[in-house]
Amino acid sequence: MISEWLTRFRFLFLRQKPHELDEELRFHVEQSIERNIVAGMSADEARRQALIELGGLERTREQCHEQRPGWWMGTVAQDVRYALRGFRRNLVFTIAVITTLAVGIGATTAVFSVVDRILFRSLPYAHDDRLVSVGTVHSLEKQEFMMGGFFFDWRDHQKPFEAMAAQGTMPHACDLVENNPAQLDCLSFDTGFLPLLGISPVLGRNFLPEEDRPSGPRVVIISYGLWQSHYNRDPNILNRQIDVDGSPARVVGVLPKDFQFPTLQSADVIFPMALNPATQKTENGGFGNPMRTFARLKPGVSIAQARAEMEPLFVHTRDTWLPPPYRKDFHLSIRSLRDRETQDVQLIAWILLGSALAVLLIACANVASLMMARGEARERELAVRAALGASRGRLIRQTLTEAALFSFAGAAAGMALAEGLLRIFVDLAPTSIPFLKRAGLDLRIASFTVLLSLVCAGLFGLLPALQTPRVVALAARTVKSRKRTLLRCSLVVGQIAISMVLLSGAALLLRSFQNMEEQRLGMQTGGVFTVKIALPSFRYNTDQKQMDFYLRAEAALRRLPGIGAVGISDSVPPGGWQGDFRYAELSVEGRPHAAPGTGGSVAGRKVTPDYFRALNIPIVRGRNFTEEDRRSSQSPVIISRLLAARIFPDDDPIGKEFQASHEGSVSTVVGVAENVKNSGLIEQDLPEIYSLRRNVASDWEGRAPLMVVSSVLSPEAVAPWVRSQIAGIDPTVPVQIETLDQTVSKLADRPRFETALLSFFAFCGLLMAVIGLYGVISFVATQRTQEIGVRMALGATRVDILRLIAGEGVRLIVLGGALGLGVSLAAAQLLKSLLFNVGPRDPAIYASVVLLLALVALSATLIPARTAMKVEPVVALRYE
Amino acid sequence: MPQTTDLLQGTLDLLILQTLDAGPMHGWGVAQRIQQVSNEVLQIGQGSLYPALHRLEYKGWIRADWGSSENNRKAKFYSLTATGRKQLQTELETWDRLSTAIAQVLSPVLNPALNPEASS
Repeated sequence: MISEWLTRFRFLFLRQKPHELDEELRFHVEQSIERNIVAGMSADEARRQALIELGGLERTREQCHEQRPGWWMGTVAQDVRYALRGFRRNLVFTIAVITTLAVGIGATTAVFSVVDRILFRSLPYAHDDRLVSVGTVHSLEKQEFMMGGFFFDWRDHQKPFEAMAAQGTMPHACDLVENNPAQLDCLSFDTGFLPLLGISPVLGRNFLPEEDRPSGPRVVIISYGLWQSHYNRDPNILNRQIDVDGSPARVVGVLPKDFQFPTLQSADVIFPMALNPATQKTENGGFGNPMRTFARLKPGVSIAQARAEMEPLFVHTRDTWLPPPYRKDFHLSIRSLRDRETQDVQLIAWILLGSALAVLLIACANVASLMMARGEARERELAVRAALGASRGRLIRQTLTEAALFSFAGAAAGMALAEGLLRIFVDLAPTSIPFLKRAGLDLRIASFTVLLSLVCAGLFGLLPALQTPRVVALAARTVKSRKRTLLRCSLVVGQIAISMVLLSGAALLLRSFQNMEEQRLGMQTGGVFTVKIALPSFRYNTDQKQMDFYLRAEAALRRLPGIGAVGISDSVPPGGWQGDFRYAELSVEGRPHAAPGTGGSVAGRKVTPDYFRALNIPIVRGRNFTEEDRRSSQSPVIISRLLAARIFPDDDPIGKEFQASHEGSVSTVVGVAENVKNSGLIEQDLPEIYSLRRNVASDWEGRAPLMVVSSVLSPEAVAPWVRSQIAGIDPTVPVQIETLDQTVSKLADRPRFETALLSFFAFCGLLMAVIGLYGVISFVATQRTQEIGVRMALGATRVDILRLIAGEGVRLIVLGGALGLGVSLAAAQLLKSLLFNVGPRDPAIYASVVLLLALVALSATLIPARTAMKVEPVVALRYE
Repeated sequence: MPQTTDLLQGTLDLLILQTLDAGPMHGWGVAQRIQQVSNEVLQIGQGSLYPALHRLEYKGWIRADWGSSENNRKAKFYSLTATGRKQLQTELETWDRLSTAIAQVLSPVLNPALNPEASS
């Protein structure tokens, strides 16, 4: 056995000397001659018969050679050498192919690295495919949440999950009070949270059950980032007492470096949730604390099954906790963790990946077409090789080797291009596309690229490889094949169709983006900036203290030169958080309620009188709030024109009273404000209620307010003064100043990103398709040179010739364009949710895209057609 | 001239191994021997003989050594290796099984007495 392997091994390295085989065969012939002589033939005849019997010597030699183990490896090396020689000989061709591939592969790789984490890459948790976000949703909160009042019942009585755990809803500002003080984000989770995700701290441990109790010891787990930046990765951090919000807390663990909250929030310090299941049923009006909850499905349980099994618990909770009018709006929701993190960007991720792949397809078609053109030119060479004994398989392998080499070169160049593209993407990237900042080229992406290049090689290598060299090619005259031209033409039709789809998609997004940029916001953004101050909740622990701070800040800013109005609000439109109401809950005396769950939401904002002045929102009826109102006990409201038209369609709303929600107090309308774009840039405007932020502590509870300031000086000039004024009140609080123009522009980041990317792909696709078209038409023109000569000799004018050749191109354009138009019209529905004020089948858009494509494509056909037209008939007739 | 028959795929290897079992032999000898023993039915052309010999050599079933022939010419002599001998045994058994099986399938045709249709 071993000797057999040794023998085999020997042959791998020892090359059999070729002359040995020759000698062996010579011996064979001599023996044969001898036998023939013995049989009575003459010497010459004996030799002749022996040679006839011997047959094809070269074939035998080749076959003996092929018996060698590892023989094919030698042929690969041979093919590679041959291909490389060919590349060097035809440098322009090589560069054209590699560039085309690099663009296709590079674009696809860059996009893949962006969408990979959104669509494909497993989440950084154990059993990530079974993790779900569980909870209730309603029309004002679409992300699953639970309340402490029923979480414990659900957790203890559920059946479909292996485990369930909770975290706090929002990180809140907290202070690290040490020699190097810092404001941090604090969050909480329960003991089950880290085990549920399969995460263990890099240092220390998870919370113990006795620490996750209401009056347990004050312990924290800190983030890797804080450990690194603040404690210099000191391993002795464990058990150290750090001062958070003025009281000591013991560090028991450090989270891993790449740990990520499933809500994609970030937090530096994590406390145990420490909830008391019993008191949760009485706190916060009996609802308990809000929380985000996650669970791991039992193996084999689907989300639909889990939803069915959780339904009874949910129904029980809903009917116990909620008064009837709310019940209809409440739903159980269970989503995979991936959907929870990326649902709203999955569509655009698929669209981007699809467009990148479309560009790659066009690139491959181009390269295939180029290779086929070269195949025609090399047909005679291939035929000679076939005649000399190269087998069909060998020739196909040779072509595929060339294709693979091209592909790998293209992939290498594409990788470099992808790196560059990715940098541009990240610069353009909106914050609302998760993980983009982290996108990079790693091993996984590289393997994707290699795979991609292999697929490409298969795509564009196989077509030319399947052309068999025909014996006719050996004849002196070149005979052109009509069939292959047909194949190339259909490639071009496909390319035009794909670029039509890309172009129309890009045009729709472009139009939509333009609409978005040009729309009226209903307020002034120039010269307005917002001041956001993060007050640490432990020092500003009452509404009164917060109010005092803001009132002092307001007064201080008003003293600055060049400042127009200083308003205070929850947020500013068009993005921004609003305290929403349900339209169905608005009650106006003498008018019936809308049916529960209908009418959508109503935006609510709590503002000071200067809010309208700072943003220049006109009061169209009645009056603005006044400074006196702030000190009165009345609570007047201003409503938007949209709301006025809905709830007081026939009357003058001024002086009317209404109730904004079931529990809300009765408010009197004092004014009607002009509508403002208040629900993002894309969504329909919401009706809005402005309530007055009075100088009463209770009006300042809840979300931290924001100061809205208008100024005649540039914000850059005013900013340092603003900071110093705030610092004069409290030097430790961080102040964030942003112009309203920046805020609005940030909202448009994502559409801008989508539009830019899709336009880029459409441009690449169109360029390549046009190059492909040009190539085919000039090929056809050269092919028909002789025919042109004959036609001209028979009396065809130059215009006839132009028409003949250009007609060929027009056929392809019309066919490809029609095909592409059909596909685009069908696919445009996908884009619908991304479009603003433009229909997915907007005729003007499609008309302009068709026109653009037709113009560009026509010029690509006219150039070769003109060349054909100018051919001298005599030259053409002699053309070989 | 006797009728020649095409060789079943894979049988050439078996024939070569069996022939070499008698002792070392050169390529020409192997071909002649097979022709003789089969009463001129099996004629092996060099086009298939030498690739087969080389294949067996690469597999390590036979070994090649240069020696001199009966008429004192330099010739390559092939001989069976230990693995080759073992392989011959296995191949013979396989062949046995195969030919028995084929014979069974064909028996009604070959022996009309057993063929119900032919006898009726």
